[in-house]
Order: sequence, then C-alpha cells, then structure tokens
Amino acid sequence: MDIKYIDPFIKATVNVFDEFFNVLPEVQKPYLLDKDEEHEWDVSAIIGIAGEAKGAVVISFPAELASILTSRLTGKTVREIDEDVVDTIGEVVNIVAGNAKKGLEEYRLMISLPSIVRGKNHKIAWPGKNAPVIAIPFKSVLGEFNLSVILENIIA
Amino acid sequence: MKILVVDDSRIMRNIIKNTLQYLHQPDDEYVDAADGVEALEILMHNHIDLLLLDWNMPRLNGLELVKKLRSMEQFVHLPIIMITSEAAKYNVIEAIKEGVNDYLVKPVTERGLLSKIKRIFPHL
Repeated sequence: MDIKYIDPFIKATVNVFDEFFNVLPEVQKPYLLDKDEEHEWDVSAIIGIAGEAKGAVVISFPAELASILTSRLTGKTVREIDEDVVDTIGEVVNIVAGNAKKGLEEYRLMISLPSIVRGKNHKIAWPGKNAPVIAIPFKSVLGEFNLSVILENIIA
Repeated sequence: MKILVVDDSRIMRNIIKNTLQYLHQPDDEYVDAADGVEALEILMHNHIDLLLLDWNMPRLNGLELVKKLRSMEQFVHLPIIMITSEAAKYNVIEAIKEGVNDYLVKPVTERGLLSKIKRIFPHL
C-alpha cells in the first residue's frame, strides 16, 4: 500500500472537520478492509471517482456522531438521521474527495454527486472487483468514524 | 446588491448566506437556488449583481451554467465566484477559462469568501 495516495484523503478529512466542526480528529492505523466484513456504522456517505482511476471515497458514521456534526452546522438539535444529516455528511464527503484531488494531480479525476446509505451493517457497492479498500479509522472527542478509499490503478 | 447563492446543499447555502451578513450591507438581498437550472430561471427574471456558484450539482452543474451564461450577451459581465470542493489546479484553470471571475475552494471560511467578494467590489 502506497501511503502517499492515501495522505491527501487523510489531510482533507482532518481539514474539513477542523474548519466545519472545530474538531481535530486523530487518525488511527489504516488497514485493508474486508468488503464483506460486518460493521457497526449506521450511515455512510459515498462519492464515486471516475476518470484516470475508478474508485470511491466513503465516510461512515454512527448515527449519534452524524447527528452531533449536523447540530454543529445547523445550530438545531438533531435526534435522527434526517434530511439535514444526509446533507451534512454528503457535503463532508464531497469536500474530502474534491480537496484530495489536489494531492493526486498526476491523475485527472472526476467526482460524482454524493449518495447516502444507511441502516445497521449497510452494504456498500464497492467499485473495482480486485482493488483493495483502504480503511482509515479516526477518533475524535465527538466520536469515531471511518474513511475508506478505493482507487483502481492507483492504489494496488 | 442582490446576490444569488447556488449550491445543491441547503446547509451550504445557509452557511454562505450567513457569512455574507459580515459584509454589513443592510440593503443586500440574497436569493438561492439548488442547481444550475433553478439558477438560470432566477437570473432570467431578476437583476443579480453577484453569482456564488457551486460546481457539482444535479441537472445543470456550475461549469455548464458558466458556459451558458458567458454565451448570453446579458450575462457576459456578471461577476461569478465559483465555490467548490474541487481543489485540483486543472479544475481551477478550467473554470477560469470558462469565465468565472474567481474561485474559492470549500470548506468556506468567512475571511476567504469576503476577500474574494471585496476583490470584485473594492468599495465594500
């Protein structure tokens, strides 16, 4: 695994949490994600990547953290995964993917609009049959979340 | 001054509109749209002084809207600031080539947005 291609996503994630939510998340040790592994996340925001590499960027949250982050942005109390939560985490993954392109300029990449998957142990339709998914866990004072990146042809 | 804020995220539109309050221009008016189609409709029926435009949106994206506007005589000089997550240099160059006046990478900061606006409207 070449960390230099993961680094732009990590930096973008730390930056958006700092700027948007005034929280500096701590990056934990990245690992290879088993695509069929069960997980505890309640909601994931997904951006597809196309162009000179095909892939996806996914940020997965527990419902409580997704709600807290949304409350911080909107100033409203959020108790469930509603439209505002979908909007907030969609914008977070959009910014992470778009900002990370700056560190991957040797490849011309396009990003999709965000989509949201929710539910206990929800399944992600990962693109790229054989490409590995790199999972990067984050810890913050508000809770834990997970960034996953798959980039066919770039991360092998 | 009438400012049109275009972003498919309602929360982002609100953040941008809240930031604009720091211009301290009590007569300013803000209108918003969720995509390029809605924005074009508003532009055709209202006088807009400044367009703050996201790139990635459904139906008609920001870059497509810029191309369309710059091909229409009445919008050739409309000030446009693109506000987008797209941070790659080739994206910035593409947007400038199509005719945006300035480019701001999200996440938006108060200082970043206000300095871009003041560059276009130095009297503010």
